[in-house]
Amino acid sequence: MKHSQDLKADVAEILLSEEQIRAKVAELGRRISADYAGRELTLVSVLKGSLPFMADLMRQIDLPLRIDLMEVSSYGGTSTESSGLVRILKDLSSPIDGRDVLLVEDIIDTGLTLNYLLRYLRGKNPQSIKVCALLDKPARRLVDIPIDYAGFQIPDAFVIGYGLDFGEVYRNLRFVGVLRPEAYES
Amino acid sequence: MSGTDLPRDARAAYSFAHASEAEFARILDFYQVAWEYEPQVFPILWDLDGNVLESFAPDFYLPDLELFIELTTLQQRLVRKKNRKVRRLRELYPNLRIKLFYARDFRALMLKYGRSALVSELSGTLGQVGPRPAAESDAQAGGTAGHDTLRLEPLELSSSTAAGDPVMRTSRARRARDARRRAVRRAAASAPSSPIT
Repeated sequence: MKHSQDLKADVAEILLSEEQIRAKVAELGRRISADYAGRELTLVSVLKGSLPFMADLMRQIDLPLRIDLMEVSSYGGTSTESSGLVRILKDLSSPIDGRDVLLVEDIIDTGLTLNYLLRYLRGKNPQSIKVCALLDKPARRLVDIPIDYAGFQIPDAFVIGYGLDFGEVYRNLRFVGVLRPEAYES
Repeated sequence: MSGTDLPRDARAAYSFAHASEAEFARILDFYQVAWEYEPQVFPILWDLDGNVLESFAPDFYLPDLELFIELTTLQQRLVRKKNRKVRRLRELYPNLRIKLFYARDFRALMLKYGRSALVSELSGTLGQVGPRPAAESDAQAGGTAGHDTLRLEPLELSSSTAAGDPVMRTSRARRARDARRRAVRRAAASAPSSPIT
């Protein structure tokens, strides 16, 4: 993959501006704070794409909370070719049994990763587990999983920025944009 | 045929009609989603005597999700026919959940997984193992049995990727035998019944 030195040059259009994202994250934070009032929450973020969202969201939640991070292998990754099965690359640091867990995702696309993660986390006996996703792309959904806290529903386009990458690049863009086809067709 | 309940070696022996289907099965396996390949044929058109004229066998069934998936990575002309079949299927079997996965969806999936280089090899006619079934051709004949018989007619692999892929390396004889067995089984299962009107 060849990308420009100026990352913005590879963006066909800005789908969600920095301001729109900030406002939505604040709104989600208020809702979560209200819904979990009086309880202690554990936010579980899925590396790497959810990092910026997690960092912003946790600061918009007015509750005592813990955070934890997970990473799972993605289909097509070279490290997983031998087994052909999804693997937990980084597991939770602390137990979640009996705790209220909110799984924080950057984007729900096919739902395959989320489906796997939810099954895995439910096996650890949390008191409750819900899903918060900044972006919901329903066009290619295979596994219908309710998203308890959804930020934006987005069209069927390849999006980058605010944690989302293509070939590990573009995660640091402050907005969510549509990648120019030339960037991945070349 | 079922997916995750069988050893991987056994699954690798299955014959898929199209390289994209084999790739899709691998993705489902990767995320540990149970699947069955063409487990059911649905009659969608009958003559006045109740004989099945046209049927449709979605590519995958995901039993845990109660969802059928049809992959369509072929030419637009054939996509229109498949769209029509899916519409008909939904009319006749309203409780059945089916999702059509178009070429653009498959392409996006490959892009997402960093396998965009495979797209051209796994899509369209390049990815086909055999000729598409009569059910998708202009002939529209064949009914239940004809569908798979033609679908799995053995041909040389046209994609270099498919040719080197153990999933797609099934012998002609095995594919033909599998097709015959399935055709007989399905023909028996869907033998003339009351047409749904």
